[in-house]
Amino acid sequence: MYQILLTRRYLVSKIMPMLAAAAVLLCTAMVLIVWSVMGGFLTMLINSGRTVVGDVIIAWPNAGFAHYDDLINRLEQDPQIKAATPIIETYGIISLPDGRKETIILRGIDGESYARVTAFEDTIYWKPLDAPLEKDTARLDPRLDLLSGASLQRMRSEGLTLTKIDPKTGAESAALVMGIEVSGFNRRRPEGYYIPIQRERTTPDGEVDWIDTFLPRDGRLLVSVAPLNTEGAGADVVSLASRYFPVANEFQSGLFELDQRMVLLRLDACQEMLKLGEARRIVRDAQGPVVLPDPTDPSEESFDEPGTRTVVDPARVTHVFVRGQGDMSRGDAAIALADRCRAIYRQFAADHGGQVPRAGDIVILTWEDRNRTMINAVRQETALLLFLFMIISLVAVFLILAIFWSMVAEKTKDIGVLRAVGASAPGVAGLWIAYGLAIGLVGGALGVGLAYLVVNNINPIHDWLGRTLNIVIWDPAVYYFPRIPSEVDPAKAIIVFVGAVISSVLGAFVPAVRAACMAPVRALRFE
Amino acid sequence: MTAPAQEPHTTPSTGTHQQVGGAAHAPETVLSASGLRKTYLLGRVKVPVLHGVDFSLSRGEFVAVLGSSGSGKSTLLHLLGGLDSPDTHNGGTISYRGKNLRSLSSHALDRYRAREAGFVFQFYHLLPELTVLQNVAVAAMVRWGLGYYREKSRVRSQTRALLEEVGLGHRLEHLPSELSGGERQRVAIARSLINNPSLLLADEPTGNLDRATGDTILDMLCRLRAARALSMVVVTHDPHTAARADRVVRLVDGRVTDAQPL
Repeated sequence: MYQILLTRRYLVSKIMPMLAAAAVLLCTAMVLIVWSVMGGFLTMLINSGRTVVGDVIIAWPNAGFAHYDDLINRLEQDPQIKAATPIIETYGIISLPDGRKETIILRGIDGESYARVTAFEDTIYWKPLDAPLEKDTARLDPRLDLLSGASLQRMRSEGLTLTKIDPKTGAESAALVMGIEVSGFNRRRPEGYYIPIQRERTTPDGEVDWIDTFLPRDGRLLVSVAPLNTEGAGADVVSLASRYFPVANEFQSGLFELDQRMVLLRLDACQEMLKLGEARRIVRDAQGPVVLPDPTDPSEESFDEPGTRTVVDPARVTHVFVRGQGDMSRGDAAIALADRCRAIYRQFAADHGGQVPRAGDIVILTWEDRNRTMINAVRQETALLLFLFMIISLVAVFLILAIFWSMVAEKTKDIGVLRAVGASAPGVAGLWIAYGLAIGLVGGALGVGLAYLVVNNINPIHDWLGRTLNIVIWDPAVYYFPRIPSEVDPAKAIIVFVGAVISSVLGAFVPAVRAACMAPVRALRFE
Repeated sequence: MTAPAQEPHTTPSTGTHQQVGGAAHAPETVLSASGLRKTYLLGRVKVPVLHGVDFSLSRGEFVAVLGSSGSGKSTLLHLLGGLDSPDTHNGGTISYRGKNLRSLSSHALDRYRAREAGFVFQFYHLLPELTVLQNVAVAAMVRWGLGYYREKSRVRSQTRALLEEVGLGHRLEHLPSELSGGERQRVAIARSLINNPSLLLADEPTGNLDRATGDTILDMLCRLRAARALSMVVVTHDPHTAARADRVVRLVDGRVTDAQPL
């Protein structure tokens, strides 16, 4: 009882406990701010990762697998699955107008179903904007003024279908949608939007030639890939297939790795280049029965020689991306969905025995598995930062210990008086523990409050620092996200708060034991 | 070692005559000590302070322990109040109402100080952050522990009444730093009495005050003793203060040299 009274009075009447509370406050705020920002950064990365791969990936990347339409039908009939889309992924080379050649990840997609599985529609960059980005107070985003709304609308439509329509002839052709950083022709502004930059090229005759760097306007790029055969690898000597494609649009996924290296192409064009499309071939079956064409089926018209037969190889894809019903952001939900996909694939493989990879061989990954390297890297970075800051926070524990040690010395006579009026040694220890607890509660609560204020206003604070002191800590060109993550997770706040309180009590523990062990007479005679 | 006189007597003190014993009614001995020895260790040097002191205090008696500085009188008071313990070997015994203090657990000793013995110190030893009211109430909080919540209203009214009694009813919310020396000592006296102890142990209660204020404090102590039937030990080096006691125990170099009723 007297502990509460004295703790209250000591707290408000001395500068030293206020300093101790301030130390706890700063450490609490520091740890929580770092954790919130890094945790938010990780969440944004994970969400961005999910936007481009869906929730579960069924993959046979070497040669692709056939009958994917049947697999997608089966998947989409399952109540746990919202949509599925066929994908081809391979590596390639893209030749840029200024002569550079960049290695790329070429992803062949079906725009319509890809948009149902991923956030493709949201990631399309060149499209009309209703309102400027948060930091773009001057409204300089070219999507607002520079281009006409009609052009942008057309680009958006062409981007979604990966089809370019020739305005003169009306002819349609498969087109590319590139990651916004692939070409290097777009420069990101601190406000978060991109502007196409002008580049010059010196021609062989020494003249300077300006390149139109806004590729979705009239850009055509040469894409080269190595075709895959059904055995799952290219020939020993790799010969590239190259073809020019117009650029329909660009996308911004939020993942720098993808935005810098990925190029999307319409699925049929991709299949054609990689020789993964439907194909007929003649098999000489010397020992088997001669297969005669079905005279009732005009498509089966055959010119096969006797002893041979025509085999139709169905089109193939390397991946099927699957989107589940409901919230799949939790790892266990995605794992359950992957198990369901595995069961569906098992039946599918049984029904297409020998024509598709076996159920035990096919690769089925969750979005978390697919992005594990990136997620783990950021998680480890977050853990390392937290560890470092917690080590720094240990300073607060020793600060409290030092402050309490000197306060116990200062209050030695008070301790003697309390013992003289009957206070027990544990009671006196309890006084200092309660004092440490109070400092932890006050400092921790204020620290959480400060962290909440800072994190929720971190972007305005950052902008202010940039304006007044020219300090840019979170450069969107480096960190990629235009805004610093600004949400405090209540669970993290509680953990940090409890940690602050425990640290304070720990800091007070040794001085409390010292106070309890003090002989009353010595305390009373202390000078 | 010289044993103090223990004979019953009639005590004139502060004009109040109190019967504490007689041939027909042997006075009840509240507190007694026998063969008390206390040695302090200063670095590696053993400094004996008490050399086998005998002492007794009857119910309602006022005993002054008179001695010069360093004679061991404060040490004796601390031993009697359970604030310190005699030497482990041949340190003697202290008995309160028949119970040997040395055999008490630390918890029981804390209870003894909280309920049976009230201390008044020369330098008041008030807690500077607490108001007058809180300085007195804190002793009750220690005594009652969590039960203070139950007793709170009663203790608060008792605290106010006690402070009124010592003439500080108008300074309840003042801090010690805002009080004179005499007022501080009155707060200390109120604190020592808030738990209704049967013993009052005062260490030079007027030693830090001028004569007039000291007399006022002594008057107050004697009045309160009479009103509450307190047994009181006052340690002093001032014969004027000692003259107010029922009996004086003289201490020289850790030995009782003389004890006499006044």
